[in-house]
Amino acid sequence: MTTTLGVLIVDDNPALLQALPRALRLRMGGVTVETADSAAAALERIVTQDYDAIVTDIKMPGMDGLALLAEIRARRPDTPTLIITGHGDNELVVHALRGGACDFIQKPIDRDYLVAALYRAIRAHVLNRRVKNRQLALECCAEELERIVQQLEREPRAVPGGAES
Amino acid sequence: MAETVIQNPSAAAGPVPVFTRYGAGVESRLRAHIEMLERRLRQRDAQRRAMLHILADYEQDRRRLARQTERLDNSRRAVLHILQHSHKDKLRLEASRKAMIHIMGDLRETTAEVQRREQELRDKQEQLVQAGKLATLGELTTGVAHELNNPLNNIGLFVGNAVDLIELAVTEKGEIVGELRHAMQQVSKATEIISHLRTFGRAAPVSRAPISLREVIARALSLMGEQLRLREIEVTVDLGPQEPLVVGNAIQLEQVFINLLTNARDAVAESPRKEIRISGAVGSAAVEIAVADTGGGIPPGLERRIFDPFFTTKEVGKGTGLGLSITYGIINEHGGTISVVSPPGEGARFLIHLPLAPADTKQTSP
Repeated sequence: MTTTLGVLIVDDNPALLQALPRALRLRMGGVTVETADSAAAALERIVTQDYDAIVTDIKMPGMDGLALLAEIRARRPDTPTLIITGHGDNELVVHALRGGACDFIQKPIDRDYLVAALYRAIRAHVLNRRVKNRQLALECCAEELERIVQQLEREPRAVPGGAES
Repeated sequence: MAETVIQNPSAAAGPVPVFTRYGAGVESRLRAHIEMLERRLRQRDAQRRAMLHILADYEQDRRRLARQTERLDNSRRAVLHILQHSHKDKLRLEASRKAMIHIMGDLRETTAEVQRREQELRDKQEQLVQAGKLATLGELTTGVAHELNNPLNNIGLFVGNAVDLIELAVTEKGEIVGELRHAMQQVSKATEIISHLRTFGRAAPVSRAPISLREVIARALSLMGEQLRLREIEVTVDLGPQEPLVVGNAIQLEQVFINLLTNARDAVAESPRKEIRISGAVGSAAVEIAVADTGGGIPPGLERRIFDPFFTTKEVGKGTGLGLSITYGIINEHGGTISVVSPPGEGARFLIHLPLAPADTKQTSP
């Protein structure tokens, strides 16, 4: 696990791209926040960068938050994505959650809530990653064991076998 | 006397012997007497003739008088008749006069009634415009709520950052002030949106002032901009170099463009190319503004009907059918015209003509 967390914020509102990263940096020590002012710009970034979490607005011109979410799910299925929605956009929230968003944040943004949601998402992501890593390690061990078993089977039962006969 | 008169004629011509019997004196006396008698007789005769004359004259007079009387009588009767007639006429005239007064009264009442109705109609028209405005406002609300939510959200974040900085005991004042400045900017942005909405929705008296359509269109676009931007509709405005100055009501004219932009927005919703073009030119006496979209256009035959109240091609619940009829009314009230052309395969193009403000007028801010 890397020591600094990387978060990407996607929104078409320049003032929000100014305020929100500042808030996250103040609230979450040592977090690296990057911004993208459109879904297309965000997609460009995730090609090279594996973020710990992505926060995106739902209403944007061009590709909106839901479409971006689908793209992220396809390209970076592990990256937790949080959706910012307007107050009372319940239908959009449901769409977003069905589409694989791990949480939603309603505007006006409650920073405590956002930070908590981000931490939760990142922890889940980290835990997931750890589980996957363990799983991978286990699979490696299992393969190793298998290999050993096969090797043992192929070898003549010389050493321990004599006692039986 | 009469007896002498009867005896005398025979006596005058009678036999002489009588006279001779009594002597010459008697005779002469008799002769004298006879002469006297004859004289008298002649006299009487003359008198009688004169009398007859007089009688005849009198008779004539009498007849004339009778005739005159009769004529007079006729005249009298005629006069009476005429008088009667005139009385009747007078009565009739009186009745007519009374009727006339009645009619005048009625007419006055009717005029007052007509004026009242006209006022009522004007009030209703204003109410309709107001209702249309509120309907437009209602349709705008979703977009505007989003627009308003953004600055509010940003204010929260900037102020929150400032609070965090203070709580973290950051001594660098500049950072905190910077956050608060940003918050202030967002506050004025929100205020702008709200004050614009309020001016637009207010039932203001319909005052007229010289105003630039350039400004009117800019204000309409500031209300609609967010919606158009989110729908990726490209808007171009080209009003030429000359100032399109008209005398009118800024809010009403703004409504015209909001209505046209709303229609264009809905028209291009399903189009591959989403464009709204506002172009204008200033002529010698009029300003011509065209609002064209790249939507599906208007079905042939409906070009005139689309200005009718409550006529809509939108789905039930989507449009009120008031927008264009109110637009038409407003343009009409401003002494202008609005029409639409929709060549097959192209979008709709609304053409507005408004009389140019007199050359010496100065523009006032809305």
